[in-house]
Amino acid sequence: MDIQWSFILTVIPTILKGIKVTLLISVLGIALGFVLGFLTGVARTGKNRILNRIAGIYVGIIRGTPLMVQALYIYFAIPTIFQFDLSTVAAGVIAIGLNSGAYISEVVRGAIQSIDPGQKEAGICLGLSKWQVATSIVYIQALKIMLPGLGNQFIISVKDTSLLTAIGVAEMTHQASRAVTTTFRTVETYTALAVVYLVLCSGMSYLLKKMERRMK
Amino acid sequence: MGKPLIAISHLSKSFGDLEVLKDISVDISEGEVISVIGPSGSGKSTFLRSINMLETPNHGTIVYDDEDITGEGYDARKLHREIGMVFQRFNLFPHKTVLQNITLAPTKLKMGTKKEINDEARKLLAKVGLESKADEMPHNLSGGQQQRVAIARALALKPRVLLFDEPTSALDPELVGEVLKVMRELAEEGMTMIVVTHEMGFAREVSNRVIFMEDGYIVEEGDPKDLFLNPRHPRTAEFLSSVL
Repeated sequence: MDIQWSFILTVIPTILKGIKVTLLISVLGIALGFVLGFLTGVARTGKNRILNRIAGIYVGIIRGTPLMVQALYIYFAIPTIFQFDLSTVAAGVIAIGLNSGAYISEVVRGAIQSIDPGQKEAGICLGLSKWQVATSIVYIQALKIMLPGLGNQFIISVKDTSLLTAIGVAEMTHQASRAVTTTFRTVETYTALAVVYLVLCSGMSYLLKKMERRMK
Repeated sequence: MGKPLIAISHLSKSFGDLEVLKDISVDISEGEVISVIGPSGSGKSTFLRSINMLETPNHGTIVYDDEDITGEGYDARKLHREIGMVFQRFNLFPHKTVLQNITLAPTKLKMGTKKEINDEARKLLAKVGLESKADEMPHNLSGGQQQRVAIARALALKPRVLLFDEPTSALDPELVGEVLKVMRELAEEGMTMIVVTHEMGFAREVSNRVIFMEDGYIVEEGDPKDLFLNPRHPRTAEFLSSVL
């Protein structure tokens, strides 16, 4: 078998053509995921039964189906049902957003529920409003507890964007697979791809750890 | 004694099938220091927590300062600004400094300028003997110090009544005294206090009235000296002999 290790360096620029898309979808998707995750996480700790139930169903559906199926459904099925066009990137953002949102929801719920109920009681007994108790006592403490979980989900979502190649999003994995179809250099190309993800995710992991430390 | 500040009548409270308060009626006047004693599970804490609506009673009424606080539509926030609470486990805010623990509520409730609120908080810290700890985080303080900060925090709202829920039960024995000293000083200044406690010395020496609860009932209440020396009810006598 003829393996040209130097081809790894040759193919990296091709793969990096997809990094913008990978990062764009990661950032927008996770931004959407944060919003969904916070709203539904808070809803699941709240007293409103209807909101609580809706949030629970959302988390259940997302956790109960694979991301790739979600992406296929969002890109192919939903536009067909409702008769509209959706770009692959938009579908990717929505898929990553909905998916990470469900996991972030769990992180948020867990963190809020881990705060001693005595904290809330102390706030109430000091005459603070529910909103003041939530924002300046409960959620602010929960946020600290969430940080590792949020960082973890961020990295998972970046890696998950590779699955979007299934709907034809031109991200890094897609670029690599395309390179393979013309060069047939599977070992070199996928080694290069793995290294790029490893560097990207290790770098982010390092930055997130630093941020966490600073928040403490 | 004039009109009671807090009039509790026929209060009852259940958690599911468990009835923890049964037909509690008691009047509390301004300036009284009341100790609530009794075995654990007797409903003392629930009784205390009902007074500031941390627990909503199932039946009965509580009238505070001529207003029925158990009535529908009553805004408990008004009550919380006048009735302070000190918890067994202090419940200080771990993400705030000692000073910020005290200034948080007065700041949010816009009780003055930043400087006024800070000055007042430092005065309160001095009062509980902790002026040097203003910028510490709560977890760097001993339990006794934390509880004194919690008392200062409650005082920052200038409450008319202070409720204490077993304020010394979570403390190491050698730290109990410093908290009781602060409470004794408050009592001497005329603060209206209701104290759920296992400290029989405090109940006997500092309070004007002792309430003995058991099994959700007020079994006996009276002047501490009478109650400790000549309990009328056999259960009171039994309890006192077991703790004294």
